[in-house]
Amino acid sequence: MTLWFPLLFPLVSACLLLGFKNPRTAVRAALGMGIIEVLLLGFCGWNVWVHGVLQQGKYLRADGLSLLFLINLGLIFVVVLGYSAGYLKHIPKGRFSSSRWYYALLFLFLFTMIAAYLSANLGILWIAIEATTLASALLVGFYNTKGAIEAGWKYLIMCTVGIAFALLCTIALYLAAVRSGIPAGRALDWTVLMTAAPGMAAAHDLLKLAFVFIVVGYGTKIGFVPMHSWLPDAHAEAPAPISAMLSAALLNCAMYALLRLDAITSRAIGASFTHGLLITFGCLSLLVSVLLMIVQRNLKRLLAYSSIEHMGVVALGVGIGGPLGLFGALLHAFNHSLAKTMLFFTTGKVRDTFDTLRMDRIRGMARALPFTSGVLIVGGIAIVGLPPFGLFVSELFILMAAFSRHQYLVAVLMLTAFSIGFGALAFHFLRMLSGEPQAAPGKAKLLASEVAAICACGVCLLILGLHVPLVFSAVLHHAMAVLQ
Amino acid sequence: MGLVEFAAAKTLASSAVFLFITVLLIAAARRTATCIALFTAQCLVIMAQIIASAFLYHSSGVLLVAALVLLVKVLAIPYVLLRISRRLKVSQNVSASTTPAQSVFIVAALILLAFAVVQPYARAFALDSEMLAAATAIILTGGFLMVSRKKALMQVIGLLVLENGIFLAAFTTTFGMPLVVEMGIFFDLLIWVLLMGVFIFRIRETFEHVDVSRLRQLRG
Amino acid sequence: MKLAISLIQVLLIVGTAPLLRGVVARIKARIQNRRGASVFRPYADLWKLFRKEDLVPSTASLLFRLCPVILFAATLMAAAFVPVLHVSALLGDRGDFILLVYLLALARFFLVLGAMDGGSSFGGMGASREALVSALAEAPLLLGLIAIAVVSHSASIASIVRWAISRAPFVLSPAHAFACVALVLVTIAETGRVPVDNPSTHLELTMIHEAMVLEYSGPSLALIEWANAIKLNLMLALLVALFVPWGVAATISPVALAIALLCYLLKIALLAVALAALESSVAKLRMYLVPEYLGTACALSVLAVVFTAFTR
Repeated sequence: MTLWFPLLFPLVSACLLLGFKNPRTAVRAALGMGIIEVLLLGFCGWNVWVHGVLQQGKYLRADGLSLLFLINLGLIFVVVLGYSAGYLKHIPKGRFSSSRWYYALLFLFLFTMIAAYLSANLGILWIAIEATTLASALLVGFYNTKGAIEAGWKYLIMCTVGIAFALLCTIALYLAAVRSGIPAGRALDWTVLMTAAPGMAAAHDLLKLAFVFIVVGYGTKIGFVPMHSWLPDAHAEAPAPISAMLSAALLNCAMYALLRLDAITSRAIGASFTHGLLITFGCLSLLVSVLLMIVQRNLKRLLAYSSIEHMGVVALGVGIGGPLGLFGALLHAFNHSLAKTMLFFTTGKVRDTFDTLRMDRIRGMARALPFTSGVLIVGGIAIVGLPPFGLFVSELFILMAAFSRHQYLVAVLMLTAFSIGFGALAFHFLRMLSGEPQAAPGKAKLLASEVAAICACGVCLLILGLHVPLVFSAVLHHAMAVLQ
Repeated sequence: MGLVEFAAAKTLASSAVFLFITVLLIAAARRTATCIALFTAQCLVIMAQIIASAFLYHSSGVLLVAALVLLVKVLAIPYVLLRISRRLKVSQNVSASTTPAQSVFIVAALILLAFAVVQPYARAFALDSEMLAAATAIILTGGFLMVSRKKALMQVIGLLVLENGIFLAAFTTTFGMPLVVEMGIFFDLLIWVLLMGVFIFRIRETFEHVDVSRLRQLRG
Repeated sequence: MKLAISLIQVLLIVGTAPLLRGVVARIKARIQNRRGASVFRPYADLWKLFRKEDLVPSTASLLFRLCPVILFAATLMAAAFVPVLHVSALLGDRGDFILLVYLLALARFFLVLGAMDGGSSFGGMGASREALVSALAEAPLLLGLIAIAVVSHSASIASIVRWAISRAPFVLSPAHAFACVALVLVTIAETGRVPVDNPSTHLELTMIHEAMVLEYSGPSLALIEWANAIKLNLMLALLVALFVPWGVAATISPVALAIALLCYLLKIALLAVALAALESSVAKLRMYLVPEYLGTACALSVLAVVFTAFTR
């Protein structure tokens, strides 16, 4: 039952939350349920940590990799919930735009992601990942403006098409497994596939084709260039906490699926093809996104492209491989989610104060919003990978892996991209921060919950940057052991 | 050989051809209602095929999948689509960027492409190359519909056709995935269609048209 | 004996042609909640026209009188190709499908010529439209038949039918199916039915066939109308013979022939109902959409030909 409770509780809470008509009680109820959910997740995580692997029934399973991503998800979710409490003030008109729908959909979104992390079956994993799109589409279109509707539409269409390709490849994998003698009922189970993978080499060509579809399919959801076009739209038009959820939790969730399938395919047909493909997509995403970051006008789009960049880095880490590369990649996914959450939280305040997110119209932010500007500076330093924050460490690991495995070209590309990205972010941020505010800035009161949420991210990043705690590094090693 | 087995074998042998004809007709169709009807017909053919193979290979579990297809794809989804298209009160024209004849030519080319593509895999895995080609052709046609039709509803239909192809591919290659997975996929699909309906109405209310190619607020 | 059977087949096509027209019109009327005229009405019409005076416009030449006769003769020849009761039609073994197609083309050519010779503007307009439709319909008709000929390894109609009967029923090859759809589309266009032309309208904006025969009267008109009815009958019989030939007698025995006659009447009746239902449910296409319609048929027939490579 340890796995069922954290999985089903968000679903139940989503239904219950729909009953709260009063926005205030809805917020409080959501906070309470969020805390219970995090406790349940913690309990479940503790059990996984103690037992190594937990399997319940045919379809639920949690191992080291799930544990890492569950910790990440729980952290981000509680932070987002805290931030949302103060954020949801202007609720637009519309059938699905009220605070009870907001929280219900948020919990539904959480449910789908937990389902993805806890599924033992690649088919269920696919269903859960597709369900994340469905649960979050209405949240992306929450504001009901022209932009939000277009972004939601694009998000639904593009991600579903992409994910459909992933389904095709899941079928191909299933075919290969069934043909290599695994009974059909268990041929999508992760453990069965991992043990049987070396025997599937006969279907070499099919698996190669399947892996291309996997990278294209789940890559659409991760935001790999050139399938990324939904990502900036959705991130820019969603409410700030939802942007944070998308960037910090959803992208990681899709990356998790890719990691699992990559592990199986690499084991079946050797890592050179799969990792080569990941490196190609990683490099492409990295380079294109940093170049596009230079020309962005909207703050949230800028941050969205930065997410593409960092997902590219994670893919590169996995692609370069080796203990160092994989360790760096997993750590980087974790770090990035924290830093990006923090940065997206600032955008809410910026929009409240300046009434726009166009960076060329924002001046004198440092004076108008001292605290938010501080957060923006800290988040900016973290996201470009400067010490003393966590991303510095993880990027360093990946670079070291690249050098130690003689991938010099990749390393050079990464360094170039990092410097371009640094330049782009510094240019945009400094322009916003400097100068005199044009109009008298509106009163922007800081709520304790918002400050707490932002500080929590910052502190975690700082700790991870100074020294990866022994417990956490053990969790990471557990996760790596699952994939190797 | 009993009559049922005979009929089942004939259904299996000829369903690929019917599927080819449905995709060609969808490409040629001029009105969304026709497209919905043809999509339903396609699902019916697939359902007949599933039932036929259930009889031929004596696997009653597959009948459940057929029932799912009937409930979700033949009844629920076309009903939702028709309701959307009625309530939208916009013209029924599919507003394609290619003429029907061109579309049929393109889809014909896609069918041939599908045949060419699946040959090596069909040989390697000893599969029915005609059915596999039909599945691939349906997937390609779905993609083509999504690219060439501007109406929001047609994009939905295009994706549904594409999904039909994937479902068919799964069925012909592996005799269907485990039942729980199939059910999950169908559930996702149904929710997806409903959500698309919500968004189509929002698009019409906000933009006062349903031409997806004219959605270009967001750039860069 | 064989010759007699062959002659009977031709007479059957020619003789039941007006009846088929009447039946389709009657079913259509019923679908549209009208009572409709008697199914034998077309015979009465023809009888009436044959007894009337043949008026010729003063501007017309000899061609005007000659065209209906050539039209009728060519159509009659074409009818002799199609097996109805027995696999060997009168000319079924002697000429191939290409001759059949071009006999029909010859008939249409003289119809167009006659219409233009009449000198009225409607005649010219109808003729140009008919020329357009037939030029576009020729490619899919020919290609569809070629596909079937390739699949059955023979060019004569009779041996194609023999091959079709010998095949197991309900085995659809893609080439066959595509050719079938293409030929059905072409048949509708060739015989001037909705959605390409409406046989029951005299609306000047849309009519094709009716515009061409506007200047004709008396026996000439009767010949043209009869030939037109034969053409419908013959195309339907051709479709039946090529795609659903079961029941056609392979031997000459009274029982087999009786069964063949019964099957034939049943199949044609079904087609008549289908045609009437189609005509009542579909709106006529605007003239500039007709090329689209025939283009679709053309695409299908090309696909059929290509698919013959896959069908061994």
